Amino acid sequence: MESQIHQIHQQLVSEEITCLSLVQERLRLLNTNKHATVNSLLEKSAIELAKKVDAKITSGQKIGLLEGIPFGIKDVYMLQGTYTSASSNFLKKYKSPYTATAIQKLIDAGAIPIVKENCDSFGHGSSSENTIFGAVKNAINPALVGGGSSGGSAVNVAKDLTVFSIGGDTGGSVRQPAGYNKVYGLKPTYGRISRFGLMAYASSTDCVGPIAKSIEDIRIVLNEISGKDTKDQTTYSSEKISKEAISTASEIKTVGYFKNFLETEVIDPKIKLDFFATIDKIKEKGIVVKALDFFEPDTLVSTYYTLAMAETASNLSRLDGTNYGHRIEGDTLKDSYSITRSENFSEETKRRIVGGNQVLSQGFSDEIYLKGLSVRDQIAKSFENDFKEVDIIISPVTPNTPPKIGASLKDPLAMYLSDAYTVGFSLGQLPTLTVPQGTQTGLQVTAAKNNDELVFKFANFLKDII
Amino acid sequence: MSKIMTVDILSSIKGAQPSETVNTLFEVIKNANTSSNSFNDQHHNAVFLDELRDDVVLDSSPIEKQLIIENFPKEKNGFLVVSKVIEE
Repeated sequence: MESQIHQIHQQLVSEEITCLSLVQERLRLLNTNKHATVNSLLEKSAIELAKKVDAKITSGQKIGLLEGIPFGIKDVYMLQGTYTSASSNFLKKYKSPYTATAIQKLIDAGAIPIVKENCDSFGHGSSSENTIFGAVKNAINPALVGGGSSGGSAVNVAKDLTVFSIGGDTGGSVRQPAGYNKVYGLKPTYGRISRFGLMAYASSTDCVGPIAKSIEDIRIVLNEISGKDTKDQTTYSSEKISKEAISTASEIKTVGYFKNFLETEVIDPKIKLDFFATIDKIKEKGIVVKALDFFEPDTLVSTYYTLAMAETASNLSRLDGTNYGHRIEGDTLKDSYSITRSENFSEETKRRIVGGNQVLSQGFSDEIYLKGLSVRDQIAKSFENDFKEVDIIISPVTPNTPPKIGASLKDPLAMYLSDAYTVGFSLGQLPTLTVPQGTQTGLQVTAAKNNDELVFKFANFLKDII
Repeated sequence: MSKIMTVDILSSIKGAQPSETVNTLFEVIKNANTSSNSFNDQHHNAVFLDELRDDVVLDSSPIEKQLIIENFPKEKNGFLVVSKVIEE
């Protein structure tokens, strides 16, 4: 699939289509879709913006590449004046007072936000079933989950309801649904894109991540939204990635994979087989492939969830119904807090908040939280050493194919373990792209920190050889 | 003056109990092999003092102020009403 952004841009410029008809059609499709991807439609503002783009074209003015391109936003991003529910009961009626930096940059470039998309509440989930808007249904087989937490965003892209969508990835929330719905999804290096205006889940791994149907569209969107932002002091300046620079992968000589990801019994035999078939194709092109040692998947999952729960317990402590959100009054202030929180948070969110407070409490923090931080450091060190030996690491996105709707809610441990292949790269803050090839749920392509460009190069190479 | 607080109090969630599933995850990390328990040799996420943003108060735009007021859960006679104050 070639770039939809370039294709639509050409159609707009040549007046083959109007921006208004484009936006109206996407809104209609979103409104009637049966995959539960929509939390709210941004109909009025989208139509106004589309008319402005048409007026500009009619008057002979040039338009930018992203001007008039309709896109979706996971419902955890602030967009001034729109409902930003985080798919939660708590914030069902909450309206963003301001706009997230990444979203503002897209709007400034002329792209048109048309929908706030369904997801797991506060990003807590891997199936987009933990939501008050109904489980997101997989784009390919609606009996299966859409993946999560950015499930609505991935399904919208896969079904051509949005040209691209902006998801959020803390432990795999862009990469896994991208794999489940056979589209591209990028978790850039931590800090490349500002998190300002993204509702915080686990701040040390939260990343803004574009989802699209082509590498080129991911590149265009990434270039637009990257950059240093004084409102997020973990951001850094980055160079734009050019189309020419990623057209060749000749500098990639060595590729690694983690052998213990493949030697586990939990991996689907077909995913394993397909993965090794891809490895063979890479070797045929003269690239050296190395099997690497890495941490056990259950250690990765436990480290990630220990730290993510601690961070989300802290981040969500602000939600008490005092200044915003759905308040339920009790006899005392403390009662109001606890009734409000117990009635409004979902079971999964409560499980994570309680888990987070457990690990942060005296007597537990040393043997769990501090140890988690220590393991995280070792993971980062291990990646540093790996990238002295290899240029790229590839891995499956998930050990298994998407579960049926309802299965993950019954077995949260299985849901946590399904993140085994994605969370390590989050803890390492590395750039990782899901490509919809190689296995039934795709492949992850990872490079060293700040080397997002190399990920694109290898993804282009894979596109040609698989 | 140490006081033992249960997770329901710590979390401000009525009746909250630790989850068996989550405890299973914690057991794995407790038993994980680590070369050391220190975590101070890899942390490069700190921001340099020179890079801190200016400490200035930015006034919210009128629309932002309006939305903040709209989001407030309760209003009476033009005043924003908070819950009862802490009695203890």
